[in-house]
Amino acid sequence: MPSFKLDDREIPFEKGDTIIKAAWRLGIEIPHYCWHPGLSVAANCRMCLVEIEPPPGGRAMMLDIMKWDADKNDWVPDRKPKLQPACQVQATDNMVVRSTSSKAAVEARAHVQEFLLVNHPVDCPICDQAGECKLQDYWMSEARTTKRMRDEPVHKPKGVVFGDTIVYDAERCITCTRCIRVCDEVIGDHMLDLRERGNKNEVVLAQGRKLEGDYTLMTEHVCPVGALTSSHFRFKARVWTLKETPTVCPGCATGCNLWIDVDTREGRAYRNRPRDNEAVNRFWACDDGMMTYLREHDGRVLKARLGRDGVREDVKRDAALDRAAEVLSKAPKGKVAVLLGAQFSTEDNFVAAALAKALGAGLYLTAKPAWRADKILRNADQNPNRAGALAAANGARVGSLADLLAAAAEGKVQAIVGLGADADVDANALAPLSRIADVVLALSHEGPLARYATVVLPAASWVEAEGSFVNAKGVAQGFKRALSPKGDAAPAWELLAGLGRAMNLDLSYTKLREVRAALLAQVPAAHPDHAPATSAATDAKASAGA
Amino acid sequence: MTATTKVLRKPRRTLAEQSYLLEVVKGLGVTLKHFFKGTGQLVSGNKPSPVTDPYADGCATLEYPDEKRPYAQRWRGVHRLTHRDDGSPRCVACLCCSTACPAQCIYIKPAEYPEGDKRRGYERYPEEFVIDELRCIFCGFCVEACPCDAIRMDTGVHMTAFDLRSDFVYDKDQLMSHVGQDGTQKSANTRHEPGDPTHPGITRLHGGH
Repeated sequence: MPSFKLDDREIPFEKGDTIIKAAWRLGIEIPHYCWHPGLSVAANCRMCLVEIEPPPGGRAMMLDIMKWDADKNDWVPDRKPKLQPACQVQATDNMVVRSTSSKAAVEARAHVQEFLLVNHPVDCPICDQAGECKLQDYWMSEARTTKRMRDEPVHKPKGVVFGDTIVYDAERCITCTRCIRVCDEVIGDHMLDLRERGNKNEVVLAQGRKLEGDYTLMTEHVCPVGALTSSHFRFKARVWTLKETPTVCPGCATGCNLWIDVDTREGRAYRNRPRDNEAVNRFWACDDGMMTYLREHDGRVLKARLGRDGVREDVKRDAALDRAAEVLSKAPKGKVAVLLGAQFSTEDNFVAAALAKALGAGLYLTAKPAWRADKILRNADQNPNRAGALAAANGARVGSLADLLAAAAEGKVQAIVGLGADADVDANALAPLSRIADVVLALSHEGPLARYATVVLPAASWVEAEGSFVNAKGVAQGFKRALSPKGDAAPAWELLAGLGRAMNLDLSYTKLREVRAALLAQVPAAHPDHAPATSAATDAKASAGA
Repeated sequence: MTATTKVLRKPRRTLAEQSYLLEVVKGLGVTLKHFFKGTGQLVSGNKPSPVTDPYADGCATLEYPDEKRPYAQRWRGVHRLTHRDDGSPRCVACLCCSTACPAQCIYIKPAEYPEGDKRRGYERYPEEFVIDELRCIFCGFCVEACPCDAIRMDTGVHMTAFDLRSDFVYDKDQLMSHVGQDGTQKSANTRHEPGDPTHPGITRLHGGH
């Protein structure tokens, strides 16, 4: 593999890599604003300037300059190396690049940083980007000089509404054009452009347009400063109070890698951010996926309850488990159905399938109906783990909800136990379920099936329990627990295993580790550590783009 | 090594001292002198100030709570939220104070100014601003952290005792009702309000927010 030298490190690169990209792959950051690994090269911010030494025998590119000589008290002619943007220059074998070791490059970066801040309002206290702002980071690492311009800065429009999701502040903008390139290259819709030049330069909407579509939040995600803010997160929290946890989007079968940012003091999720994984979602996520953090709080089932329709009663979780065990033990053999949930983790489904095996019950799948797909990321299947649920069945036949309804109508099913309240059929078609005397459901969220449940067990959401999803391409991806379960909720596999034990079945799982070990032994392809492409390599880089 | 000894003489008492009674009367005289002097000062009202003249002769009693020692200007008392010219809080809900607070006693719920407000789009404001004075350790970090001079501890009022714990939890209205030692509810630092000539205005192309 060819390699070049960056300061004192040897950097291997692939053919066609630029200097900055090869360094980025190794986790070495050359300061930059406009470059983004997922976007084309604009080379307009001039922050990544580096000195490239001439090839052996070649002539160095030098500039004639005037330099202040304190001894002579006058300007004297001097020469300095001509710097080149690391984001645009392709790496070549045995190239010698000097970034931090070049005095000229270090000086140039400090001056670029000073220029970028000349007209900046420095309103960090009310700026949502404060704490994760590249202007702040690079001021600390590259400049550390006070502002020398004493004039009133140039004022530009503030609080401009770009659409339902994005608000723009031109004064904070450094016109790096990342947002414009996201529109052009990721979304494929030229909604944004620049107007004016120099210090009047600002990003504007295309005439008669507003920022719309399924990927508008990516413009905010790539913004290295606080110019673009998303209306859902705007003014809600400070980033330094949030804790990031790697998670997987529960929005569709693509399984985009995300960070979920939560405030552990309040037990509240505040936002999602895309997590780089070139194998799955590259650097992006769709707007619906970015908003899935709201599901942590909306429509949750937090208490166990008994009874159907008008005679519902909230009870303790253990009481509900006992009741469920009692009614299921009495149910006639062979007439019990177990529901797998395409919205639940592979581990949950694995234990549900084990329960079905112990009960000798048939398997059916609850899932959400199909939704709008596109060619970028969105999969037509709204369920993050259909593949994982089917894999967890380990070869057993899994019927659809329609099959279950047909069986219920024929009287072949007299009791149901399982995961999830989602239905991929019309809500009116669910009527046969009301004939079934006992429906035990472990639910994290309310759904169409919830009203037919006679025993509801509160399950933890994907934010509150560790687990894994298998996406449409068969990639198993693990996600971590970000918050403690709310209310009485517990991980669904724990509820089902507890139910099995209460019925004296052989379900000994008490720790996730044990479930994972059994999963690895029986269905290795669905185990998150066994998958061919995981996000582990990119986990270390928190958010190179943001 | 030879030991050196110093012989101390026992002090001799005179007959008058030895007789005890006279000395008692003398001592009583000293007490009475202070008694009359102090009472006289209290009655006539020329008591020397225990603050400006703490070592003067006479009555040293502070009639607390009718009389109070004024606190030093930089003494950290109960918090107040400073006002703008129009009476709204200067606070922009940046959460710097609650971040700096080691006791985590400040809760702020930021919100955006309502539609039509001249500050909408520029700034946010605290919809709720709550300080739990029981948790507060009066370190003054919040005042140091504030970039807008919106929170101050210069009221000169120390925390009094209440019957209920909930009385110690001060909300925004209460904090804004407090007055500084200088008698004002503002701060001396100027600020550029939206609409002022010195403040950036939304002038071109876009309005709307």
